[in-house]
Amino acid sequence: MVSEIQNSNPTILNAADLPTRLQPTLSCKPGVFGDGSFASTLSLVNTIELFPEGSYLSTELDSDDDLMEELIDRQEIYDLVSTISDPEHPISLGALAVVSLPDICITPTLPYVPDSPLRTVSVLITPTITHCSLATVIGLGVRVRLEQSLPPRFRVDVRIKEGTHSTADEVNKQLADKERVAAALENATLMGVIAKMLETCQ
Amino acid sequence: MTAKALTLLSDLTPPSLERAWLTAPHPSLPIVATCGSDKTVRVYSLTNFRLLSTISGGHKRSVRTCAWKPHVQGESVLATGSFDATVGIWRRWDSYGRAESGDTDGWGLSSDTLNGPGWHNPENQDDEEWRFAVLLDGHDSEVKSLSWSPSGMLLATCSRDKSIWIWEDLDDGDNNFETVAVMQEHEGDVKCVAWHPAEECLASASYDDTIRLWREDVDDWGQVACIKGHTGTVWYVDWEGVDNVPSTTAISGQGAPLSAEWKDQRALSGPRLASCSDDRTVRIWKRQPKEQQVHPQFGSTGIPSIIRPTGTDEIWEEEMVLPQMHELSVYAVAWSKRTGLLASVGADGRIVVYEELFLTVPAHTMSIDPPADAPSTSLRTEWVAIAKLEGAHGIYEINHVAWARRADRGREESNEEVLVTTADDGSIKVWALER
Repeated sequence: MVSEIQNSNPTILNAADLPTRLQPTLSCKPGVFGDGSFASTLSLVNTIELFPEGSYLSTELDSDDDLMEELIDRQEIYDLVSTISDPEHPISLGALAVVSLPDICITPTLPYVPDSPLRTVSVLITPTITHCSLATVIGLGVRVRLEQSLPPRFRVDVRIKEGTHSTADEVNKQLADKERVAAALENATLMGVIAKMLETCQ
Repeated sequence: MTAKALTLLSDLTPPSLERAWLTAPHPSLPIVATCGSDKTVRVYSLTNFRLLSTISGGHKRSVRTCAWKPHVQGESVLATGSFDATVGIWRRWDSYGRAESGDTDGWGLSSDTLNGPGWHNPENQDDEEWRFAVLLDGHDSEVKSLSWSPSGMLLATCSRDKSIWIWEDLDDGDNNFETVAVMQEHEGDVKCVAWHPAEECLASASYDDTIRLWREDVDDWGQVACIKGHTGTVWYVDWEGVDNVPSTTAISGQGAPLSAEWKDQRALSGPRLASCSDDRTVRIWKRQPKEQQVHPQFGSTGIPSIIRPTGTDEIWEEEMVLPQMHELSVYAVAWSKRTGLLASVGADGRIVVYEELFLTVPAHTMSIDPPADAPSTSLRTEWVAIAKLEGAHGIYEINHVAWARRADRGREESNEEVLVTTADDGSIKVWALER
């Protein structure tokens, strides 16, 4: 599928520097979530910022019947996707800083429907180089990993971080199209690549 | 104002356990066909809401779309479109099993013969009752939508390969289809195709954010309009019924003259088109009557006719953006050909029903300004959301909505309609709108 490696010398983070549950929680960066159709949740992200992370989580937990879901916070999402391997290096997306904790957000999907259990998990991806044609595959891998791991009340929104990729709009449109994603999941070649990326996830 | 309630009549059972994409009501029988990710089509009764038969074994990937051929006598013909890039044609005699079960309604469908053969015996009869007729091969990638022309002679199919194919059903008893046209003007996946309710005019909606209209001119099929306005993928289009007239309930007394004037104007511009999009809006589009398509720069000014717009070009304009009721992508709209009501569904799990009303109030309270050349101010209408149901399929996204004639025992009049919605968890629900 890839004839030649596009980024032969990527920057790799030290494993000890990657975020874990032991560290103090970093908060979402509101600015990076403010583009395009996602703008409606911007105000919400800002609202969350005004409160300590813990208080937001505890209100969310009140509506959860399923004890299993108590664990689903940003760190949990990070743990799910950071262990995915890059399609061209045997290195994790976390170590390559393609995914990072501050670029993950969990917000109510329907902010104007207070009792809706729907939550949108947003993951911004930072490709290692701006013209990386594998950005779509990486995005698809992240989306597949989350859709397979999270309960169905979670909606997955994976997009390229603004300013980090030359064809970000195109990639984002494709990753947001449920019909294209559904068809991709039935494409054996593509799913072979994705399966290999997900092999390193526990 | 969302005054009316949507009441759940029933789920169609048993459901598929995987995503269901679309449910197509039969043009004359009280049955629907649902297609989905499990690669099958399930045929359910709208009389008792039970599964009648399952069509399987034809497609290698998800069945994304299906449509019943209209005007077929004594037989039901279903076209299916799949992510495997092919289109299947399936046939079944309507009389199958009728003689043995002694049905008197002529369709083998009466609810009290549940255990008889034919439609009511999915376990034993499935495979033999549905005959696989032909596979139409041509698209390069996933087939996303298909539609039979009002006469049933033409079948339009569209795909991620950006093309629309028109096939002619030769009806020669040998299941032969001929490729009539391949149109490749769209710049992205073609998500939906829908034929005009009376004419051989096709509308298509695309990932390139446009809606296009296609007609045959002499021998060639070509694009006659490209409608821009949506700011995201256009997921679905549906036509207005030929004889639709907005509701006159709000203007008692003036209804009859207004309706008559409406019909006169409608005769010139033809049925309108409804569309829905990833941009979360539902919009209504209207064709400019031919008489009004003035092109001043090309008028009778002696400019050679070669640069005039061709005779088939049509100008379509946005008539209305419906009240904003959805918070996420709107995946489907259904414009009832019987009542004129419009329903929309989408990723936010909502069902919304809108009604169009004649307006008689002063202009300043209207939702849009009248265009300068508006023929008559008395013919202004507005759309009102009359029903809204949150989380109609629980936490799941709703992929499709359709109006169908009501057929269960609760039906009070023969033209009463139900809404059929199809969701990501495979569930299909039948709803009645409070009257």
